[in-house]
Amino acid sequence: MTDRELRELCNRYFDALERRDVDAVAEMYAPEFSFWVNLTGAASSREENLKTLREGYALLRRRTYDDRRIDTFAGGFLARYSVNVVQHSGRRGSFAACIVAQCKDGRITHIDEYLDSSKFRLPRGGET
Amino acid sequence: MTDGEIRELCNRFFDAYQDRRVDELAEIYAPDCIVWHNVFGRDTTGAENLAALPKSYTGQRRRTYDDRTINTFAGGFVIQYTLAGVQHSGHRGALWICIVGLCKDGRITRIDEYMDSSKFAAWAGAGRIS
Repeated sequence: MTDRELRELCNRYFDALERRDVDAVAEMYAPEFSFWVNLTGAASSREENLKTLREGYALLRRRTYDDRRIDTFAGGFLARYSVNVVQHSGRRGSFAACIVAQCKDGRITHIDEYLDSSKFRLPRGGET
Repeated sequence: MTDGEIRELCNRFFDAYQDRRVDELAEIYAPDCIVWHNVFGRDTTGAENLAALPKSYTGQRRRTYDDRTINTFAGGFVIQYTLAGVQHSGHRGALWICIVGLCKDGRITRIDEYMDSSKFAAWAGAGRIS
């Protein structure tokens, strides 16, 4: 995949996440897709990740992926970004994250995500 | 810089960090180097980073930067690795970290570091923060 194709895939991915279009995300994931995050150190499958996405959308009113800085390398991309969330209570939060994605034939085959979980804990007893 | 030069610089940086060679790190950082960390969300200068290292090194018996996965892009690298630490108590811990390094003329001009601060206590052997 070319630099431009990787950048386009990266932006398409985050745009789909923002508008909660899980079907579009599913199309971008290769059948063997896996997702790893530094919070758990465990990899989840394509279906597990899509399920997590569907369930996660109910927790927040809005989530946007802003300030995207994308770099591409042979077979993948790096995206650094800010996640801005609005909870159902109206409370706003923001944290920085990055993903390293491996891509093949127009699809994403693996994502490694790095973030700081202390930045997005919901207040105890607070409305989510 | 070529892919090979960037990879070599990346490994030299982590080898120096691991071996506590602050003088070599000073050579690797460009004079205007900035270090940013997702935990604190603010820029520090390379000089500030270097000044903090000697004290930082006293915190653990040993720190190694293992399982390095390096990819390069135009003007920099992204490295994913495991920071393995041995505390003075003998406790061993590991953190999964990603660093993005921007490079120019054989030196690092900027570092963005991403990690999960909720793992710090367990890494240090102090148990998990609830």
